[in-house]
Amino acid sequence: MGNNEHIVNNPLRALGLEKNAKEDGSQAIMGLVMARAGLGKTAILVQFALDCMLLGNKVLHVSIGEGVEKTRTWYDDILSLLTDGEKIESIPEIMKNRMIMTFKESSFNKALLEERLDDLVQQNIYKPECLIIDGYDFENNSKESLEEMRNFMHERGLKMIWFSAVSHRGDERVSVDGVPAPCHEVDSLFETVLSIKPEGDDMMLDILKCDDCAMDPGTTLKLDPSTMLIQKG
Amino acid sequence: MNKDLSKVRNIGISAHIDSGKTTLTERILYYTDKIHAIHEVRGKDGVGAKMDSMELEKERGITIQSAATYCTWKDIEVNIIDTPGHVDFTVEVERALRVLDGAVLVLCSVGGVQSQSITVNRQMTRYNVPRIAFINKCDRTGANPERVTEQLRDKLDLNAHMMQIPIGLENDLVGMIDLITMKAIYFEGDSGEKIREADIPEDMMDDAVEKREALLEEISMFSEELMEALLEEGDVDVKLINEAVRIATLSLDFTPVLVGSAYKNQGVQLLLDAVESYLPCPTDVTNMALDLKDDEKEFPVTNDPDDPLIMLAFKLEDGRYGQLTYIRTYQGTLKKGDTVYNNRTGKKVKIGRLCRMHSDEMQEIESCGSGDIVALFGIDCASGDTFSSSEISCSMTSMHIPEPVISLAVIPADNKAQINMSKALNRFTKEDPTFKTFVDHETGETIISGMGELHLEVYVERMKREYDALVEVGAPQVAYRETISQRAEFNYIHKKQTGGSGQFGRVGGFMEPIEDEEYEFVDKIVGGVIPREFISSCDKGFKKSLKKGSLCGAAITGVRCVINDGAFHAVDSSDVAFQLAAAGAFREGYLKAKPTIMEPIMKVAVEGPTEYQGAVMGSINQRRGMIIGTTEEGSYSVIEAEVPLSEMFGYSTTLRSLTQGKAEFTMEFATFKPVPKSVSEELIKAYQEERKNG
Repeated sequence: MGNNEHIVNNPLRALGLEKNAKEDGSQAIMGLVMARAGLGKTAILVQFALDCMLLGNKVLHVSIGEGVEKTRTWYDDILSLLTDGEKIESIPEIMKNRMIMTFKESSFNKALLEERLDDLVQQNIYKPECLIIDGYDFENNSKESLEEMRNFMHERGLKMIWFSAVSHRGDERVSVDGVPAPCHEVDSLFETVLSIKPEGDDMMLDILKCDDCAMDPGTTLKLDPSTMLIQKG
Repeated sequence: MNKDLSKVRNIGISAHIDSGKTTLTERILYYTDKIHAIHEVRGKDGVGAKMDSMELEKERGITIQSAATYCTWKDIEVNIIDTPGHVDFTVEVERALRVLDGAVLVLCSVGGVQSQSITVNRQMTRYNVPRIAFINKCDRTGANPERVTEQLRDKLDLNAHMMQIPIGLENDLVGMIDLITMKAIYFEGDSGEKIREADIPEDMMDDAVEKREALLEEISMFSEELMEALLEEGDVDVKLINEAVRIATLSLDFTPVLVGSAYKNQGVQLLLDAVESYLPCPTDVTNMALDLKDDEKEFPVTNDPDDPLIMLAFKLEDGRYGQLTYIRTYQGTLKKGDTVYNNRTGKKVKIGRLCRMHSDEMQEIESCGSGDIVALFGIDCASGDTFSSSEISCSMTSMHIPEPVISLAVIPADNKAQINMSKALNRFTKEDPTFKTFVDHETGETIISGMGELHLEVYVERMKREYDALVEVGAPQVAYRETISQRAEFNYIHKKQTGGSGQFGRVGGFMEPIEDEEYEFVDKIVGGVIPREFISSCDKGFKKSLKKGSLCGAAITGVRCVINDGAFHAVDSSDVAFQLAAAGAFREGYLKAKPTIMEPIMKVAVEGPTEYQGAVMGSINQRRGMIIGTTEEGSYSVIEAEVPLSEMFGYSTTLRSLTQGKAEFTMEFATFKPVPKSVSEELIKAYQEERKNG
């Protein structure tokens, strides 16, 4: 199966970030998807991950607080929507580009991730090029920890790291760029910040910040509310 | 007198290996007065637990064959099948679940939800089996039932809630608080047989109140009556709560979680109460049968003892009482001396003796009714056969049986061993549909195949012990498959005219890959270019060709053969001529259709201390394994991977030395995948050499 079949409507292309996934890591980006709980952050992260995988990159999906099985299901569900019911396992050339690591909320930190990654890279088991970190605790981690993650991305030659963050309805703190709490004080560390927002029956993906994007901040992409796929056009 | 089916529970006890299922069953039998002394699985008294009736099971400390037993708790009759924990014996678990109405999922309070718990839970879901969870071994160091309950929710997606909280943990475990009755329960006496109810310890009261509130809030979602009672803020009737839990459990929307330690005699009686209160009776479950007279249309069985009989043979055993067939009755009544029909063979069978089994002891009975699980003597049948009375012809829904993935040659030491081995194999293949045997005509060796190394090892051991058949075994062989990867045309003429009558047949058409099916034959012949009587000969010729591929001698699967052209001779064409022509056509097409070798890929889960994670991942990588994911929970981690079976031989030894024996692994068949080019070349070379030498 040709990969092009799947990347017709990919989110990286929609944002104009495809080049960052294709290049050698010199234009690495750190991205963030924010939303209130249960609005579909993981679905968006998995779309980015699938995009990276289809472009031939190895993705390490770090899931904090979720199991391997649930994370796998996300990939199967999204890929199944993009194709005709295909599962990741049935496409070996995509499957080999994904590894999932799950941690408990209380135990995850950069040092542990680094140790695990060393295990993989030094033994030549898996060398990730894109990192997905779903469930990072922005409320209880300092700006320094995130800076460390950013340095880590550069040191390891990663092309991109995508985080998800939960925003809360009652918390109205925002940064100058409009990035809501709890990420309002760390938004300078991210090249791209997206926010999922329901509008009536629709779901929108607001581009709050996007240094490398083809689109200007303030632009909104429409999501299919039943599938959370970014809609064409 | 008809039996009150509401007082019957058919339950299975399933779990990950070494979670203490057999110990738990032993305690259940003790508390229900079926046995009068407790023997541990690996006990110093050398007796072994009651349910591990096979010598080998007692020696290894694991349950291999599920033994059926029954007991009575209060006025409830409980039929229990103790199921094996090792994944190689999964078919036993599956069969048990097929005939049972409810199940107890046993978990270790330290190990929590382990790989086999996931498999077993998936099987329970497949057969819609309502379940309760029992978190065992709460006396062990590191016990954490709350964490295990969380895992039940996260990993198994069960709406699991603790119905009790333990009083003390690890060495300090002394009893538990029942969150429904809000009483502290202590188990006293030499074997915990005396139950003492007391007030909840003061220091645990706040926690108990909070947890009860959360529990009732959850349960009230399933009962309006309970919700109203809670809103009124008075005392809530225990019966009302139990009814709501039962409704939720039966609908598979809720999993009650009980805690305890079977080994320390804590909490087993409360588990039996929960079996009575929350698990279904035979009439609570809708079992479907297939009407063989009406195109296998599904219909629900009635459970009515006055309706025509329907029963399913789910297990065969050849013990000291002769051939035993375990059956589950779904409707009607079976009496000693009745004649029933085996719907698979169409043969009449007269029921001689009928008995209830208590592990390896039996009790003769005169009749059994709907919902019963009993054993019959001297019935010739295979596992999975449906029996019925003459008025109906039906089959219970077919059971999911996986294909064997590993094989090895068994060579009898002498003539006596040869005879005994044949007897043993004949019986094992009838007992276990995942165990297969055949004679390789090229080498003359008897080959046995099954679901894993341990699976075959156990049967070889049983041959020796039970049948006195001394056998040598060859190295385990992986069951490779060959398949094609593209469409290819064929047009083959078989012609032979060397004395006597000649042979002639031409077969033209194409072959193409198909998914999810082994073989399909399509006849597109028009104009009688191949006469009707020889069409089936072509099919036979293709089928024979599938038995052995030309790459490595493995069976060929996933092929559709379409014939659309041909020719015949009025005198020289025959059945044999067209079979040979089809075989020739297959050979011709096969080589053009880019054949590939496929190998079985196993889903492997390695669990152990996190400090060894790097080393374990390395060992998987060296075995051509692909790591799917890792789960890290404190000092414990699980690595899930897909690894070719051929690379897994001897892995237990490797893992032991890598992790100082602290990690364990389970594996089960996942799928077939093409072998890498280098492996393919080796296999082809080895097969060619074998043919040259043979």
